[in-house]
Amino acid sequence: MLLLDDATLIRHGQGFGPFELRVDAGERVALLGPSGAGKSTLLKLMSGEIAPTRGRVLLGGQPLAGLDPCTRARRRAVLPQSHQIAFGLAVELVVGLGRWAGGGGEPWVRQALAWASAAHLQGRRYDQLSGGEQARVQLARVLAQLADVERGLLLVDEPLASLDPGLQLELLDTLRAFCRERGHALVAVLHDIPQALNGFDRLILVRRGQVAADLPAGTAALPALETLFGLRLQLLPAAGGGWALAARRREAAA
Amino acid sequence: MDARLDRTLIRWPALPGWPVAVALLAVALVLAANSGAIRLGLADWQALLNGEDTQGALVLAQLRLPRVAFAIVVGAALGLAGALSQGLFRNPLAEPALLGIPSGAVCAVALMLTVLSAWAGGLPAAWRPFAVPAAALLGAWVMCGLLQGLARLLVPGAVAGLLLAGLALNALAMAIVGLCTYLATDEQLRSLSFWQLGSLALASWPVVAVLGGVVVGSLALSRRWGQALNALALGEAVAAQVGVPVARLRRVLVLVLALLSGLAVAWCGLIGFVGLLAPHAARGLVGADARRVLPVAAWFGALLLLLADTAARTVAVPAELPVGILTALLGAPVLFVLLKRAQREIGGGW
Repeated sequence: MLLLDDATLIRHGQGFGPFELRVDAGERVALLGPSGAGKSTLLKLMSGEIAPTRGRVLLGGQPLAGLDPCTRARRRAVLPQSHQIAFGLAVELVVGLGRWAGGGGEPWVRQALAWASAAHLQGRRYDQLSGGEQARVQLARVLAQLADVERGLLLVDEPLASLDPGLQLELLDTLRAFCRERGHALVAVLHDIPQALNGFDRLILVRRGQVAADLPAGTAALPALETLFGLRLQLLPAAGGGWALAARRREAAA
Repeated sequence: MDARLDRTLIRWPALPGWPVAVALLAVALVLAANSGAIRLGLADWQALLNGEDTQGALVLAQLRLPRVAFAIVVGAALGLAGALSQGLFRNPLAEPALLGIPSGAVCAVALMLTVLSAWAGGLPAAWRPFAVPAAALLGAWVMCGLLQGLARLLVPGAVAGLLLAGLALNALAMAIVGLCTYLATDEQLRSLSFWQLGSLALASWPVVAVLGGVVVGSLALSRRWGQALNALALGEAVAAQVGVPVARLRRVLVLVLALLSGLAVAWCGLIGFVGLLAPHAARGLVGADARRVLPVAAWFGALLLLLADTAARTVAVPAELPVGILTALLGAPVLFVLLKRAQREIGGGW
């Protein structure tokens, strides 16, 4: 569905790629890597926010750059890292912007707010919400955007980084269920290794603007993760079938 | 319950919006038309409506009504321009005059009246009345484009950065105006200073009609683009992600903004702060939704300038204060308050 074909970007004298990637409908992909490795840049290439200097990015077989903004918005949504809004817009209005391309606002807005457990925030001003509440509203906006299409693409850039752990898990679960029901592919930049191992099918490890490894999520990915982050990792089975992770610095272990 | 929540839950009782707005404006219009060096009253309005040639009816028809109508359309243009530029630059302090957009217009007109006067004098007589507005429009447009480019280079959301860029561009434009004044012949200088002094006294029906048309056209356009402006408040990237054609939106906004502030400057000189006060009052009244802020800002700008102009005409009868002085007296303290608030809300975003 999403295809990066030799996509290369040169920005501020820094090279990213070439990326050769394919993301299929319904896949759940976690992008992992140290800070500054180029995860967000890769996500921006995928979303069409930045056009590659060389190579192509195709969405559903068509070059992303050639699609008009509305058509693009019907196929892919992006949940960004920061949530600054210039004016004190109402919550429903922010969520309703997700329906810019699709139309038919009202019912979808209410539904999306309910999915994001943010129904109680209706009628409030966005700029007066707490960080966690703002994240829920932004999530609702993205859900509203892709609520009535199938086999779309949802790109998520560390939206959970500043939230408390309970809310992180809740929102991630919501996102995953939403994508599963509609066959959307989910690509998320993550910092948390256990979250990536537990909730995603595939890990793409990024280092110094390159894909260092592209492998299924599971215990087999541990050595690659250890190399990527320079850590010693140990998996511990957790209650409920998931994994918990113990991490130490490599030097400390040696 | 904390005060914040309180404020969002307790709303003003819903007023039937536009009839009240129109009624207020009509009352202000009648009051404004009645006051001045010669006080007018009901009898003069009756005489005017009956087509009698009394002195009062003549004053009303030929002086007062064009003047108040002009104040209304100029005020609406300034208010709307303020709301649009705040939306375009995603900055609650981005008033066109603070950013130097009207200075760009002044600069272009100064160039035309002095350095290029030989060329402008060679224009066909029928075109000459349009030469100043056209130059002003061009100047405002160039300035707007420059600012817009600069704003995108600066940190997104940086309030002061944009204002400082505006300060620099303002200074540049004024330096060019100064140069033009220095190089001008006596005659050129006279036409330039006459134009720069400009006030609402130059009101005439054709000018009112043209500017009124532009205001109505911009309002119609902003109905279409209002939701896109809301999306822009979330940032350019997010706006593009939800499907807004951002590049086209930006081009439209820059052009409309240049049209509104350029024409306002061309016909009545620099009038500051209306573009700052009107959108803020509008947001206070109807919330931040651009679809509602834009028309309300135009309405409030019209009301504000009408009152300010009436005060300017009547405070020191028979002399007349430049209306820009009054709006600055009113607006500058508000700017301080808003700066303080922006600092608190945006925090590190300087």
